[in-house]
Amino acid sequence: MKRQATVQVAVALLWALAFPCLVQGQQRPAGKTPEGMVLVPAGRYTPLFRAEKDPKDFPVSAFFLDVLPVTNGDYLMFIRANPKWRRSTMKRLFADGDYLQSWAGDMEPGPKAANNAPVTHLSWFAAKAYCAWKGKRLPTTAEWEYAAAAGLTRADGENDPEFVRQVRSWYATPAPETLPEVGRSRTNFFGVHDLHGLTWEWAADFNTAMVTGDARGDTGLERQLFCGSGSEGAKDTGNFPAFMRYGFRSSLKASYTVHNLGFRGARSVDEQGK
Amino acid sequence: MVFIGCSTGGTSRTRPCCAKELTVATPLSDRSLYQIDSSWTTDAGTTLKLPSLAGRPQVVTMFFAHCEYACPVLVHDMKKVEAALPASLRTNVGFVLISFDSERDTPAALTTYRKNHELPPNWTLIRGAPDDVLELAALLGVKFKKDARGQFAHSNILTLLNAGGEVTHQQVGLNQSPEETVKQIRQLPAP
Repeated sequence: MKRQATVQVAVALLWALAFPCLVQGQQRPAGKTPEGMVLVPAGRYTPLFRAEKDPKDFPVSAFFLDVLPVTNGDYLMFIRANPKWRRSTMKRLFADGDYLQSWAGDMEPGPKAANNAPVTHLSWFAAKAYCAWKGKRLPTTAEWEYAAAAGLTRADGENDPEFVRQVRSWYATPAPETLPEVGRSRTNFFGVHDLHGLTWEWAADFNTAMVTGDARGDTGLERQLFCGSGSEGAKDTGNFPAFMRYGFRSSLKASYTVHNLGFRGARSVDEQGK
Repeated sequence: MVFIGCSTGGTSRTRPCCAKELTVATPLSDRSLYQIDSSWTTDAGTTLKLPSLAGRPQVVTMFFAHCEYACPVLVHDMKKVEAALPASLRTNVGFVLISFDSERDTPAALTTYRKNHELPPNWTLIRGAPDDVLELAALLGVKFKKDARGQFAHSNILTLLNAGGEVTHQQVGLNQSPEETVKQIRQLPAP
């Protein structure tokens, strides 16, 4: 293993000496896409809710996103390398008592958590730690929503009736007890699988969704989501799944673990490893 | 684990010398916020790690100095808690203000804030990197969002941490009576 790494480094160095401009080029935005990820091109994200003086939409820089959600098999490798994230030694501050609940044991996903099924029952901290281990990070809400707004054949999924129908139908169906494997659905326009239809996913800034059960009392903004005026001020009142995601995110705490909540990694284009 | 005491400059503000020192190494429970390793900067410009707040109860809130409405009320609510404490406890409870505004709340801005709001030395004012703010907010159950004007919408929550850094009580909302929080502080074991 070590020898192999040394050889790789040596080859890379030779390569760099031979073609300095090429190596430099890899660090530019148009650089190489990391394995298992796709480049989601820059675009604009229109939030479901915004403060009065906020612009209608925000720019999203190009970023890399994992094609697939992180699986139980992937997560097992993470735990092997980072034993403190084992279920039995998990600290309650970082994950509630249901952490990896569907796993058979500390180092054994078992029959209810197939190797190739998305890993769930894990907290924001766990998802964040996994991403950091991979040299990645969690996508922001803006990045995730922007990527997930793409339909099957076009970037603006809202104008793709078949996509809208599929998404709605999934959001209306309860999650099965045993989650299916990742990658079974069609990729979307950006080449990403399973943003809808498999699990919900953690966002880096999930705690910027300002609606909580107690938000009426404790926050000063975005009261629009409540009661009869719930959809007033929302950008697209027909976008029921977006309401659900917004409400779901705002109900989460960082240590919560949920049966149908998983995650995937992202990486900025201009900052390697960030 | 060894906690930093009075003598080190970094924490002199947060621990008045009349406060009892935590001399014995106390293991942190698995619910303790002091397990996180992020570094913060005080208004005095010194680095602070959260475990240095251990050893006595801390009343914590997140705020930002440019806040026009909620934060002054939150700070006032914290002062009400402090004022309602019996004198014997008052010297042994810390108050911590953590800024959302990594950009504008420099040590100088926090110094001005301390002066304008007449905050005594047992109040700690800190700012940190955006990711660390996000993490601490997540741990405290605080939601916040920056708007286009650079203002933050945020939860209004006072959190009581016990000497070991565990969340023991939260006072939610503005203009709250300090009664329940004070009762909770009195119920904590004496340091």
